[in-house]
Amino acid sequence: MSTKRPIDGLFSRRALIAAGGGAAVFGGLIARLFQLQIMEHERFEVAAAENGVRLDLAPPQRGRILDRFGRPLAAHRQAGRVSIVREQANDLTGLMAELSKHLDISPERQARLISEARRQASFQPVTVKSELSYEDFSRLSVLAPSLPGLQVEMAATRSYPRGRDFAHVLGYVAKASEADLERLSEDTNAQERAAIRRLFKHPDMRTGRSGVERYAEDWLRGEAGFRKLETNAAGRIIREFDDPSLAPKAGRDLYLTVDAELQKFAIDRFGEESGAAVVLDIETGDILAFVSTPAFDPNDFVNGISSKDYALLRDDVEYSPLYHKAYDGTYPPGSTFKMVVAAAALEAGVINPNERVYCPGHYRFGNNTWHCWKKRGHGSVNMHWAIKGSCDVYFYEIAKRMGIETLADMGRRFGFGQRWELGLTGGRSGVMPDDAWKRAARGEPWYEGETLNIGIGQGQVATSPLQLAVMTARIAAEGKIVTPRIIGDGPRPDADIPFDEPLDAEIMQRMKAGMYGVTSEAGGTALRSGDLGLGGPRLAGKTGTSQVRRISAAERASGILKGDNIARRLRDHALFVAYAPHDDPKYAISVVVEHGEGGSKAAAPVARDIMAEALRIDARRTPSYIRTASTGSASGSGSGAR
Amino acid sequence: MATMRASSLDFSRRSLWTQLGSLPWGLILLICAMGMIGVAILHSATFTNPQEAGLPMRQATRFGIALGVLLVVGLVPLRWWFWAAWPSYLATLVLLVAVEFFGTTGGGAQRWVQIGPIGVQPSEFMKVTLTLALAAYYHKRWSDFSGGFMIHLPALALIALPAALIFRQPDFGTTLALFASGGILIFLAGLWWRVIMALGVAAIASVPAIYFFVLQDYQRERVDTYVAQLTGQSVNVMDDGYQIEQAKIAIGSGGWTGKGYMEGTQSQLDYIPEQHTDFILTVLAEEFGFLVTSGVLILWMVILGLGLAIALRAASLFARFAAAGAVATVAFYILFNVAMVLGLVPVVGVPLPLLSYGGTVMITTAGCFGLICAAHLGRNEPLNTGA
Repeated sequence: MSTKRPIDGLFSRRALIAAGGGAAVFGGLIARLFQLQIMEHERFEVAAAENGVRLDLAPPQRGRILDRFGRPLAAHRQAGRVSIVREQANDLTGLMAELSKHLDISPERQARLISEARRQASFQPVTVKSELSYEDFSRLSVLAPSLPGLQVEMAATRSYPRGRDFAHVLGYVAKASEADLERLSEDTNAQERAAIRRLFKHPDMRTGRSGVERYAEDWLRGEAGFRKLETNAAGRIIREFDDPSLAPKAGRDLYLTVDAELQKFAIDRFGEESGAAVVLDIETGDILAFVSTPAFDPNDFVNGISSKDYALLRDDVEYSPLYHKAYDGTYPPGSTFKMVVAAAALEAGVINPNERVYCPGHYRFGNNTWHCWKKRGHGSVNMHWAIKGSCDVYFYEIAKRMGIETLADMGRRFGFGQRWELGLTGGRSGVMPDDAWKRAARGEPWYEGETLNIGIGQGQVATSPLQLAVMTARIAAEGKIVTPRIIGDGPRPDADIPFDEPLDAEIMQRMKAGMYGVTSEAGGTALRSGDLGLGGPRLAGKTGTSQVRRISAAERASGILKGDNIARRLRDHALFVAYAPHDDPKYAISVVVEHGEGGSKAAAPVARDIMAEALRIDARRTPSYIRTASTGSASGSGSGAR
Repeated sequence: MATMRASSLDFSRRSLWTQLGSLPWGLILLICAMGMIGVAILHSATFTNPQEAGLPMRQATRFGIALGVLLVVGLVPLRWWFWAAWPSYLATLVLLVAVEFFGTTGGGAQRWVQIGPIGVQPSEFMKVTLTLALAAYYHKRWSDFSGGFMIHLPALALIALPAALIFRQPDFGTTLALFASGGILIFLAGLWWRVIMALGVAAIASVPAIYFFVLQDYQRERVDTYVAQLTGQSVNVMDDGYQIEQAKIAIGSGGWTGKGYMEGTQSQLDYIPEQHTDFILTVLAEEFGFLVTSGVLILWMVILGLGLAIALRAASLFARFAAAGAVATVAFYILFNVAMVLGLVPVVGVPLPLLSYGGTVMITTAGCFGLICAAHLGRNEPLNTGA
């Protein structure tokens, strides 16, 4: 106390030294704070701004597919979706139990969903059900706030508002499978590959599996963007920024040349029958209707079709709803092929159109007898009569005279044996047989007797309804080139035009006259179908029957089985090709009614009604994707001048 | 002098009021201010996380309790603390041994021991009781002799014994704290400069040996990360370096004036692990900027300076050493924590007194300042131990 020890002064000195040291360290820390907060502020500010922002892949909205007048064929529909988010749920099992009171979820599926939610990142929603009914959606939406972890939202889903009408044309979209990803990332580098994979793994992303959806994938897809999200370190989303520069770019709309109303009419007209119809605009080659019936509903495929439902479609071999009969289906053209045979004969000069051939109802060649469909024969017929009465004997004769090579050459110039690229998946070339084809396909030389069969459109010649429609259009256009197309505004397919020179106009006029005779002159095979019921214009056409089976001599002798006496699948196909109006052709049509037996009875009335409808609604009028001069200046320049 | 002794022994009500009135209220008010700042920052650091919603309230409650501890410790006559110094040191040592055998594990280290219903962390008590023991020791030594080198060896043993036990838990931060504040007391007790120099050289020389043979793997990793980020190497941002990198981003993005209360994106988005405990300074720096943060540090300097002034004014050596040791203990916490958060020293779990969430450090800090208050009230007592 009062006595001064050395320690007292020592302690004070040392304490001040220590305090000085401490103050120096404090000063150093404040200097460091200054360095970080003031001198390096900018760098850290940028780092902080980037830190909390996460870019989430945002899938683009797929482009719509529209008919020629802008009616949506493939569009979007908002569908309710319910998911669970583990991070927000207090009790997953309890939540699932509560949810199953409102939705029908099997216990196995509940367990699967819970284990999936546990496996994934805790903030990642797991979809429980993606197509909620309106009632379910509203009920669950009301419930959601009281059930943490339950997420009820709307998501855009591909929809096909016209259902089965365009099933085969549009195809459908589905979640990308491993095979799809492989295909989509063809010809890409590793980086693009990874981007494609990431994009298509998004739950909202679909890819075209068939039809236009697949062919025009690049056009429709658009570009993926990003959602700019502020997140915490755990990855939970705090809020979303609105950044237009990052928004996904929606895919482009695609216009088809088809008329949805005509298509629907045509499908309805087929009723219960199975078959195909193609309506072409003769002038432009626009496909106005592309019918294959029965069809499936592509909406069933968007969220994955059940294997049971798919098996039902796949195993229906008699009506084959999955099959695009107008494009993938090939049939012997039957008598609809006779214009090709006649034109070949005229061009080859093996017959004069006025020369008469006698038809006793059969034709002998070698040791065999070929029959005319008309058992008692047509008598003596020239080319015009042979076409309108569809005399088989006449065509046996001229086919034999010109030989298969001349015939096949004309067939190919009409587009047979070659595939039309339309911008859809599928499409068959059919067969225009000749010696070389047979040697390649069968390893045998061509026999002359086979030429006779080809002369009446039977045997190995196989044609698609599309090819028949193109043939008809070329005849109606008096030989001008008609290239079919179905994509009006979209990725134009590199049309591999099978023939590039017009056919002889004079010969084509004779063919037209013959087809007019079929529907409008005494002796025509389809007289009842010539009148369109529109007053003046008539329909010109040609019937055909394509044989499904060989008719044995015994059966021929006892009477050919028809109608109820024979199983449907063994009945012949009924064909009809036509154009109208006869004096100023605008539309060409081909119709195949499978197992319909008679072209005049089963196919011609269908073709006539569809044609009448096309004329009535003026299906070929200017499509909305083509801007005429007047509308172009009004909407294009934006000047507003009228 | 006789009257003084009588009054401090007499625990009449009037006397208690007098004592209360003569407490260092300036110091206590500044401590309260720091506590308020702590609760406010904690509110900002935790309000986005619903699971942490109750934390600021609990912190405020703890601060209230801590204030009570401070006052009680402060009002207990200094002489009592002098008597209790050795028994409390020994008791804490026993508890540390008990932790060794019966302790429960928390956060990877064995630190807790159960006494009845309460979990106790004896290593925290040791910070206060070691200060008391060293103060009592030097008080007695300097009354008997007059310096010399040998008097410091028992002091070193007093430090090393509990430090070794705590290091085994393992708790590197507390071990360091004991050596730092204890070392300061030895320094104040007049350790010769040449010994200090020699120890400094030896300490630097032993760094590699400590690194390779003493540190645990996870501690070594932290040191590695620290060296890497100091030398500007890219650290594994997902790992150990993540915390310090995120902390630097938060602090650096604060700028002069910060992003505003509860506006710190780093802090609000939970980017910084432990941001409400050891890394609370990042929230302050990000949201209030350099001016306020350095202001808070200066406020700490003022508080510590006031504590040191009390130590210098005290008459008895016990009061001087006890107050100085308390100041050193709190100062070590602050300096080490801030240096750690600023990326200057490796990440060792050292909280920031009064600002970090957590009860233990709050009570320890209160105990330290209580001791300073006791030294203040008993500044004129000679505490002659029968010499």
